[in-house]
Amino acid sequence: MLILSRKTNECVVIDGRITVKIVRVDGEVVKIGIEAPADVPVHRLEIYEEIQRNNREALTNNRSTVPKLPLKPLVAAVPAVPAA
Amino acid sequence: MIAAESPTLATMEVGRENIVHLPLGLLGFESIKDYVLLTEPGQEPFRWLQVLNDPSLAFLVVPPFDVMPEYSPLISPEDTRILGLVRPSDALLYNIVTLRGSRATVNLKGPIVVNRYTLRGKQVVISNAAGYSLHHPLPAAEEA
Repeated sequence: MLILSRKTNECVVIDGRITVKIVRVDGEVVKIGIEAPADVPVHRLEIYEEIQRNNREALTNNRSTVPKLPLKPLVAAVPAVPAA
Repeated sequence: MIAAESPTLATMEVGRENIVHLPLGLLGFESIKDYVLLTEPGQEPFRWLQVLNDPSLAFLVVPPFDVMPEYSPLISPEDTRILGLVRPSDALLYNIVTLRGSRATVNLKGPIVVNRYTLRGKQVVISNAAGYSLHHPLPAAEEA
């Protein structure tokens, strides 16, 4: 792990295209600003842990119930043709 | 009953059983890499991602567009490269459903993305995960 020290408003640039800025330091809380292309995923570490937890909860050996999704109509209703 | 068929586009669309290989497993289940994707009659569009070596264990999954037609997950360039996806239509998505009694939710932040030709997949964290729920509610469960 690369360890750097930065002051408020200073930045780190990753891969020449991702910029991390120290926006504010408030006691124990550091506000970080990240500029990256939209297709670069940037997530708090917790999201991986949350998904792990969700996966663990989802694993099952009981297959008796599944949700029921509302049926989508396959064909638009044909309006009744009035008698001539 | 149906033997694993060689992976082709037709197989993934009409086959009722397919073996899927996840080289990285699922988050929290990294050592389990081989699954059978199967459908129980009457449970469409839901499918079971069943552990190949322990058929008693499975995840309930659903193609997300059946739940949310406007779902627009952004798959990162790195995940696209890892999966060998060339066109968006190369990807099949299955999102994990959690059953809690009669309430069910689906994880829209971390779909399982499968290359329909290689049948290799990965659970990805979509780049726009912040805009979707980990516990998106589904209609109440019914006895199958």
